[in-house]
Amino acid sequence: MGEWGIVPSSVVLTSFQVMSRVFLIWAVTHSVKEVQSEDSVLLFVVAWTITEIIRYSFYTFSLLNHLPYLIKWARYTLFIVLYPMGVSGELLTIYAALPFVRQAGLYSISLPNKYNFSFDYYAFLILIMISYIPIFPQLYFHMIHQRRKILSHTEEHKKFE
Amino acid sequence: MSLLIPEKISLSSASSSPGRCPFPTAEYPEVEILDAKTREKLCFLDKVEPHATIAEIKNLFTKTHPQWYPARQSLRLDPKGKSLKDEDVLQKLPVGTTATLYFRDLGAQISWVTVFLTEYAGPLFIYLLFYFRVPFIYGHKYDFTSSRHTVVHLACICHSFHYVKRLLETLFVHRFSHGTMPLRNIFKNCTYYWGFAAWMAYYINHPLYTPPTYGAQQVKLALAIFVICQLGNFSIHMALRDLRPAGSKTRKIPYPTKNPFTWLFLLVSCPNYTYEVGSWIGFAIMTQCLPVALFSLVGFTQMTIWAKGKHRSYLKEFRDYPPLRMPIIPFLL
Repeated sequence: MGEWGIVPSSVVLTSFQVMSRVFLIWAVTHSVKEVQSEDSVLLFVVAWTITEIIRYSFYTFSLLNHLPYLIKWARYTLFIVLYPMGVSGELLTIYAALPFVRQAGLYSISLPNKYNFSFDYYAFLILIMISYIPIFPQLYFHMIHQRRKILSHTEEHKKFE
Repeated sequence: MSLLIPEKISLSSASSSPGRCPFPTAEYPEVEILDAKTREKLCFLDKVEPHATIAEIKNLFTKTHPQWYPARQSLRLDPKGKSLKDEDVLQKLPVGTTATLYFRDLGAQISWVTVFLTEYAGPLFIYLLFYFRVPFIYGHKYDFTSSRHTVVHLACICHSFHYVKRLLETLFVHRFSHGTMPLRNIFKNCTYYWGFAAWMAYYINHPLYTPPTYGAQQVKLALAIFVICQLGNFSIHMALRDLRPAGSKTRKIPYPTKNPFTWLFLLVSCPNYTYEVGSWIGFAIMTQCLPVALFSLVGFTQMTIWAKGKHRSYLKEFRDYPPLRMPIIPFLL
């Protein structure tokens, strides 16, 4: 909704989040049936669900020009716990899927073949896990920064009322 | 910025010929340069030559702020507006007797020639590392062995020729509009070129490489496509060079010449890109290697963006631009 100018989120950051969620659901949890009973799946599903309920309430109320402070507070505070919770769930799920990917050679192709191409999904998943190291802190601290900006703003407004 | 007092520089030509001043002092424009973001006064130039160009003003600004060499200065009339060109003459701009220019730092710059040479030398060298099967790439039993497939040797010749051609064109053929680009581009560009070169070379020179399905026929056809497109690309580069005298930045509509390869100008604005895509498609068919096809696709996407931009600026600049031409693919794109 960022690209239609309906809500002020960045298109890039949001697309990133959407892509990572779709990847976790289809390319990991759905594709590797053995991980579907893991606790880590419950962990990220709960984290995402709570986050999204708050986030969309925030957008809806903002558009109606009637945003209860509680919703704004929740959106910019609960992520402090929910974000690491979600990331932990995601990483643990990918990690749990690894042995099954290796065993079944899932989504992998090896040489020789007539298109002279190879792809190792196991190695790819490991790279994905490693990429969380530079990416997660950036997103997390971006939200912390937003929190400071937006919640302190409201405090000042309240003082002048 | 440590300087709170703006520096003043006098440029009056009257100081070189005492007693005689061609213009009354009131006619000399003054120039003040402000930071585009903070509006801080960075520099004040009084008695600037009316016919001074932006390039000359940039040189003067560098004198007081040596860390901002002219290539990294963007001067504009409006803080959010477009950059002024080096050739623009101060007097011809819509300014009063005191011209206010806004400065934006473009960041560290690097010359186009340096970037091109670096980004093209990499693939040339890297591919050869894989071709000669230098240790630690493939299994140790393959170290310094040679492929038994003819097409692998041919591919090495083609790939190397392509990048040698690019290096020579950078040194002797191209005439660049801009001298420099931002420094971070060299890292971005080299990652792209060097990364893809390594990826392609790995498979083509692999001990388990599978030659093309249709054998020598496929290779011959692909080679023909490659050679024709290389010649075509070179012809276009020469034609574009001849449009622009050395040292100038003039822009003209390119037209077909006696060289048949340039007749593609009748149908596209950027036939050099058309031929470049053609070369890589040829190379992909020759090697029947998916990474090469992916590299061609990514390159095609980027070149299409550039071609559309170039096409748009041609249309904007020239009223009589031939209407039949498309940016990169005849009749289609």
